[in-house]
Amino acid sequence: MDEAICPRCKTTKYRNPSMVLMVNTCGHTLCENCVETLFARGSGTCPECNISLRRNTFRIQQFEDPFVDKEVDIRKRILKIYNRQEEEFTSLREYNDYLEEVETIIFNLSNNIDMELTKKKVEEYQKSNKSNIQRNRSKLSKDEELMEQLIEEEQAYLQHSRQELVQQERREKQRKMRQREELLDNLEFSDLPAGLVLASHTARQEEEMEKKPAPTTQFSTGIRIGGGTSFLPVPKAVEAALYQYRPGTVDLLGPEPPQITLLEENGYMSHMRDSSQADMAGGYTTKLGCHRALQEAFCGLYFVPHLTADSVGQEQDMELE
Amino acid sequence: MMGHILCSGKIKMAADRSKRYQKIDFLGEGQFATVYKAKDTKTGQIVAVKKIKLGQRAEAKDGINRTALREIKLLQELSHTNIIGLYDVFGHKSNISLVFDFMDTDMEVVTKDTSIVMTGPHIKAYAIMTLEGLEYLHNNWILHRDLKPNNLLVNSQGILKITDFGLAKTFGSPNRVYTHQVVTRWYRAPELLYGARIYGTGVDMWAVGCILAELLLRVPFLPGDSDIDQLSKIFQALGTPSEDTWPGMKSLPDYIEYKQFPGTPLKDIFTAAADDLISLLGKLLCLNPSQRYNCSQALQMPYFSNKPGPTPNPQLPLPSGTSAEILMEDHKVKVGVKRKLPADSDPTLKKKLVF
Repeated sequence: MDEAICPRCKTTKYRNPSMVLMVNTCGHTLCENCVETLFARGSGTCPECNISLRRNTFRIQQFEDPFVDKEVDIRKRILKIYNRQEEEFTSLREYNDYLEEVETIIFNLSNNIDMELTKKKVEEYQKSNKSNIQRNRSKLSKDEELMEQLIEEEQAYLQHSRQELVQQERREKQRKMRQREELLDNLEFSDLPAGLVLASHTARQEEEMEKKPAPTTQFSTGIRIGGGTSFLPVPKAVEAALYQYRPGTVDLLGPEPPQITLLEENGYMSHMRDSSQADMAGGYTTKLGCHRALQEAFCGLYFVPHLTADSVGQEQDMELE
Repeated sequence: MMGHILCSGKIKMAADRSKRYQKIDFLGEGQFATVYKAKDTKTGQIVAVKKIKLGQRAEAKDGINRTALREIKLLQELSHTNIIGLYDVFGHKSNISLVFDFMDTDMEVVTKDTSIVMTGPHIKAYAIMTLEGLEYLHNNWILHRDLKPNNLLVNSQGILKITDFGLAKTFGSPNRVYTHQVVTRWYRAPELLYGARIYGTGVDMWAVGCILAELLLRVPFLPGDSDIDQLSKIFQALGTPSEDTWPGMKSLPDYIEYKQFPGTPLKDIFTAAADDLISLLGKLLCLNPSQRYNCSQALQMPYFSNKPGPTPNPQLPLPSGTSAEILMEDHKVKVGVKRKLPADSDPTLKKKLVF
């Protein structure tokens, strides 16, 4: 179970729900309060690795694992320098080699391997490719361009539909105005008695109303609103098989964990912190947490690696990345 | 991990995956995604492809949409007849698409279609399928947190599947704090409305109770128009709880005192329902979440084992115009009409699609 804890003041998310963990470039976490006290002057050292840090490089931890935050940070920085585009390479092979090299640098920096050497390498690259980096920075990559374009398309479509609606409303208003004016004109200049003019006007109006599309009688799904049918024949009841409950099973790949009803008897609960009144009122019980912890502890104990050797290999590869 | 996803997008992805699914029809559009009906050219299966929208510029910068990530993460590990199946996820350029089971309609359409007569056995069948899917989720420590008729899909074989895992989360950890701003308001449990930050399966069970009530009434059971109004609607129907019936209620973060309503007996609200169904509803719509029944308890109630038995799946009613009916009429597969645009609608609406 991952409990967010500040390594300095040992505050946990549980005790202080408003606690926010921050990470700096070294990948070590500190809570917001500690950052404020330690870095009151704007700079200081990381209490864990003694690297001097600046306060304004602290960011709120986004990922459960602060290492990921660190990696993302390094990746952003390195990609700003290594920003060559695919078009600059003559073959895909070369481009892939270049990407591979960038990944190696990022991996080295985030895992503290050959730090000095790698840093030097990056600096040298930055020096020798200064103009190239500047140029690439100013132009968007193909991916970004495409994304921009897609976002613009989406927004254009939204705007279009909004305008359509406004226009429709305006047309409707104009039509009504015109009709009124016509009626007034007719009443003023016509020789016919007023009653007749009025009657013909209402008739015409009704006609126009009919021309307009009938009010929607169905949902967008094609189902009629309201239905209108008074009584429908009740479908004949078919004698169906009765339902029988079968408890759902969870494949744990391990021994059967103790039943939730037996937790108290067997003393598992003595190691659990009592849940507060508010937790209980919310529907959480300590038994639930205990049951889950037990299940997780028992889970996968019978796992035999060779059965799924392929998938395990893949997982390891993923981790290496 | 998002960093990984972002960077791996640079390395060329296999293009044949995106060509594997042939678009047939537009099905619908939501806040986060557009859904298309498509054919899997490899297996010939009809599937639904959900293309995640990019959304705002700031969101697009972060990488994948968060709800999509949740959905992918959870659904990959789940497999149950009553849970929507996620077959494939593929990216194309900066888009990401999810491939699901194709479903013909949902429970909202079924309940709103007045030409469908919902009999006791029908309701029983729907309830069993919902609860069995949910039991599987809860057994795997997952809370759905957004159950509503709209998210219970039904296919032409009458099989109900729970969908939309954009809000789903694992539960049962004593020190995890959750947001209470989940579940569409009409199906939101009272403890959520009172701001509980740690909760259990009760939130999903309450929603099932509301859905079941909606199946009986054919209109939403508790349609509150604000959080306050929602609570007063709940208490008017079920009676205001006290510290005896719901211990600890007053210690919930957003607790407020309500007028004492006596509550209406469920028998008077659901006049047509049998006694065993009323007692099930009573257990699902129990105000105190720790007394509320969970899926396994609910499924073992006499209502489910009593006569009449649930309607077999293929005989369940479907809205008129659903593909199954058309299929029966002229033995030709035709497109489902769910959320289909009328034929005369604006042609610019159909965007060019690149899978």
